[in-house]
Amino acid sequence: MAEERLATHLEFPGPGSDPSHSFDLYHCARLGIEPASWCCRDATDPVAHTPEFPILEKQNWLIHLHYIRKDYEACKAIIKEQLQETQGLCEYAIYVQALIFRLEGNIQESLELFQTCAILSPQCADNLKQVARSLFLLGKHKAATEVYNEAAKLNQKDWEICHNLGVCYIYLKQFDKAQDQLHNALHLNRHDLTYIMLGKIHLLEGDLDKAIEIYKKAVEFSPENTELLTTLGLLYLQLGIYQKAFEHLGNALTYDPTNYKAILAAGSMMQTHGDFEVALTKYRVVACAVPESPPLWNNIGMCFFGKKKYVAAISCLKRANYLAPFDWKILYNLGLVHLTMQQYASAFHFLSAAINFQPKMGELYMLLAVALTNLEDLENAKRAYAEAVRLDKCNPLVNLNYAVLLYNQGEKRGALAQYQEMEKKVNLLKDSSSLEFDPEMVEMAQKLGAALQAGEALVWTKPVKDPKSKHRTPSTSKTTSVQQPLGSNQALGQAMSSAATYRKLPSGAGGTPQPTKPPSLPLEPEPTVEAQPTGASAQIREKQV
Amino acid sequence: MAAASSSDSDGGRAESSEANSKWLDAHYDPMANIHTFSACLALADLHGDGEYKLVVGDLGPGGQQPRLKVFKGPTVLSESPLPALPAAAATFLMEQHEPRTPALALASGPCVYVYKNLRPYFKFSLPDLPPNPLEQDLWNQAKEDRIDPLTLKEMLEGIREKAEVPLSVQSLRFLQLELRDMEAFVNQHKSKPIRRQTVITTMATLKKNLADEDAVSCLVLGTENKELLVLDPGAFTILAQMSLPSVPVFLEVSGQFDVEFRLAAACRNGNIYMLRRDSKRPKYCIELSAQPVGLVRVHKILVVGSNQDSLHGFTHKGKKLWTVPMPAAILTMNLLEQQSRGLQAVMAGLANGEVRIYHDKALLNVIRTPDAVTSLCFGRYGREDNTLIMTTRGGGLLIKILKRTAVFVEGGGEAGPPPAQAMKLNVPRKTRLYVDQTLREREAGTAMHRAFQADLYLLRLRAARAYVQALESSLSPVSATAREPLKLHAVVQGLGPTFKLTLHLQNVSAARPIVGLRVCFLYNEVLYALPRAFFKVPMLVPGLSYPLETFVESLSDKGISDIIKVLVLREGQSAPLLSAHINMPVSEGLAAA
Repeated sequence: MAEERLATHLEFPGPGSDPSHSFDLYHCARLGIEPASWCCRDATDPVAHTPEFPILEKQNWLIHLHYIRKDYEACKAIIKEQLQETQGLCEYAIYVQALIFRLEGNIQESLELFQTCAILSPQCADNLKQVARSLFLLGKHKAATEVYNEAAKLNQKDWEICHNLGVCYIYLKQFDKAQDQLHNALHLNRHDLTYIMLGKIHLLEGDLDKAIEIYKKAVEFSPENTELLTTLGLLYLQLGIYQKAFEHLGNALTYDPTNYKAILAAGSMMQTHGDFEVALTKYRVVACAVPESPPLWNNIGMCFFGKKKYVAAISCLKRANYLAPFDWKILYNLGLVHLTMQQYASAFHFLSAAINFQPKMGELYMLLAVALTNLEDLENAKRAYAEAVRLDKCNPLVNLNYAVLLYNQGEKRGALAQYQEMEKKVNLLKDSSSLEFDPEMVEMAQKLGAALQAGEALVWTKPVKDPKSKHRTPSTSKTTSVQQPLGSNQALGQAMSSAATYRKLPSGAGGTPQPTKPPSLPLEPEPTVEAQPTGASAQIREKQV
Repeated sequence: MAAASSSDSDGGRAESSEANSKWLDAHYDPMANIHTFSACLALADLHGDGEYKLVVGDLGPGGQQPRLKVFKGPTVLSESPLPALPAAAATFLMEQHEPRTPALALASGPCVYVYKNLRPYFKFSLPDLPPNPLEQDLWNQAKEDRIDPLTLKEMLEGIREKAEVPLSVQSLRFLQLELRDMEAFVNQHKSKPIRRQTVITTMATLKKNLADEDAVSCLVLGTENKELLVLDPGAFTILAQMSLPSVPVFLEVSGQFDVEFRLAAACRNGNIYMLRRDSKRPKYCIELSAQPVGLVRVHKILVVGSNQDSLHGFTHKGKKLWTVPMPAAILTMNLLEQQSRGLQAVMAGLANGEVRIYHDKALLNVIRTPDAVTSLCFGRYGREDNTLIMTTRGGGLLIKILKRTAVFVEGGGEAGPPPAQAMKLNVPRKTRLYVDQTLREREAGTAMHRAFQADLYLLRLRAARAYVQALESSLSPVSATAREPLKLHAVVQGLGPTFKLTLHLQNVSAARPIVGLRVCFLYNEVLYALPRAFFKVPMLVPGLSYPLETFVESLSDKGISDIIKVLVLREGQSAPLLSAHINMPVSEGLAAA
């Protein structure tokens, strides 16, 4: 389709065709000009004295000065006058008219006029570039690349052609070619925009390290570009290199203290460190500039949550949810806050909604199970745990919570199995990082270990010194018929999930794409060979709707 | 002094109160009727009497009546019509000897008009460009009638497509003509030599061999055919010629022609090219990736305003130093030079009616004007050293004088946290009711959850049942059977008591037509009367929508309405294929008595 169109568009009249019809008359009609007024006079009045022809470019400078001042009305008036006088031969007037059409959104019209310009002076690369640009804006990337290649033949050393070719190739998903062209562009002349596009390719390919390399070079070249700084900061954040992330985000904020992305990202890092007050102050700036940003209200909500102002947290999160009803992170946080508020029925709804959007995350199922446990629906709670355990790979809390539930149910063997699974995960985590474990979780694990007689809890090398949680944990146990010697797992879920939330936040905060997350899949999970058949998970899902 | 510097700290607020302002409002005439660009403004002591005049190359309203206006104080001293629109105006000293009155140069079209003592003195025309030899040759042949118009046309067409040198206007015009007009055109024009002319787009002055304030200067012209020319001040011969990759729009010149000079030319392709004395081609290039709207040199820094609302600073080698965002589009720029204090700064007139003055990145002052300023210049006017002349979009003229006590201080006016940081967050409030409900949920959460789940199951069950029932009794408006895929929708028109009922019946199968269908209406005969309650449907061609119209008479005058059921049946079958319930509207007209 695109090639077809291109063929028709680039059909310049050869010597055989009749060019007088092909451009000028058509043009005059387009611009509302009486055509051939000069011809008539010439024909009817064949006097000996010959009229002087006006210089075609007479008013180009004036057109240009009005154009760069964005005084488009004046510009159009002069263009019209100029085209009338020159019978549509003034190329620059047509060119600027086309630029104005494009700015006004009439891309098709602009394309036609640029093609006319290309006919008027076929040796000019600039006209072809504009034709290609209009094709690009119309979404005809393939046609655009062809015209750009044509232009590249006329002008070898134009970074703009290379850059735009690269961008076209990105849209055509030919990343190798795109990279080549963008590197060419950088070689000819360095521009921030080229760096940004090149980085984007690497991000699309999922290669964070290369993207960071590119952005680093870009920041070196143009140290005051806040967009580059922010993007680099966010990439570091994604990789967990917090020091550098903060440095670059901070730099971005010095040059532009109202940069929305940078503030959100920096704020979320402050939240991770518990600086809720400072983060909130920073968010005020964003709240003024972009009051309808869902990540902003999500972060503000979680700041209030960190400050234990739960009602305000819920208000803000609900606003965020109103603004972005399909964002599972906001729903996750809403579920979490409602769990903390012991509003289990509401928490259940938010969590099940979140699972509908993000069915691949173990922690969500675990939170759902905690809610279900508290709603005394133990059957479904167990199923949810089973799903959580199946999906989760590294969070020991999932297993611990499951073990507690099983133990409370009297299924000691199952509890022991989960407990051992948890120990495995804990050992793995300890090997890979120096992550501090939540003291409440450690304490609970030790208690459970003792109750299960699972041997000495050797996994916890760090001494636990947080006696505060001790009295809180058991006190939350309710007087239900279920024997709860180890405290409710609700308290646990709370502790864990707050940690999990903070860890999740940065990625959601700046609105950066998460390339690892696949698009949401159909609801049915793959059948597992485990004890829980598909029917069970299906049933859980039933309830989530 | 202290007060002055404190008021400087916020340029935005400082000039709002008259007392704190650095400027005296000398003159404001909103009806001055001046429409021009900064390039067409010049200040000079034209008569050598120490009284500086303002020269304005005025384009006139709508660019219709170009005039040369000379202002003395607030009044127009002289006004004379110009032959064409002025592109630039400059004043320069032509020769050394006394009296040292500067000449005035106005660039317009292909010519520079030089005035002395405000009297026309010399007209310099750009030399014609060399025509294409092939083209020349063709016209010569035409002159001797050795070539017929059609061949001429074809040959010219060929040149136009390939040649480096563009065709003359005469040939281009000829190419546009119809066959019957060609002969006459050739006869009329063949004896004329073909000419290619170009136009001056910009003009600047360059000192000849001395750096003094009152030294002899050359004119530097930028032309439409991408060239820069340096003219001799006395003889008006071309001293140097340089070519550029694009058409120059703004020029910035420094140095002396005989010693060493630098030229910066902002061009239409968005690039700025830097040339030096002995370079025929640009030495450095700045690619802006936007259109430059102004070019000013402050000491060694080139300040460029781009049409993406920002000011950029570059070194003379093209390295980017800084960028300052602007609150609105830049309309014009010029240099502010306060010689008494050795200050050079950039003034930028913005579309929001501000004139901002920057020294490097630092904002020194903001002037608010009643209308957007489209051209400005600063310098000695009358007998006052520091005068700012501005013209506005509506044609107004503003003259402001810088107070002699005024000092521009880099206040860092925009440092510190943005003001938005002090605003309170608008956190949605929660009502008492909400808190009560929260408490209730805490107490009875389990019960609520169970009730909800039970109701949800019931709801689903009911929905499923209703769906099955609809399928079974063909109540849906889309028939599901494979043999007769049909779609039906109905429209009721009218106010009553007579309505028009239109059924749109569509066969949605891919290729098979359907025959032998009947339509039957079921209705309450007390309330409605239909001419035909049962009729045949014509053959249904796939894809077309068949409107079947019938009239419905409402019989009741009590304002009651009822449902009319439409059944689509297959001949010989009692179960309908599909059916529709039409909720009839209440008759608004009087029932037929």
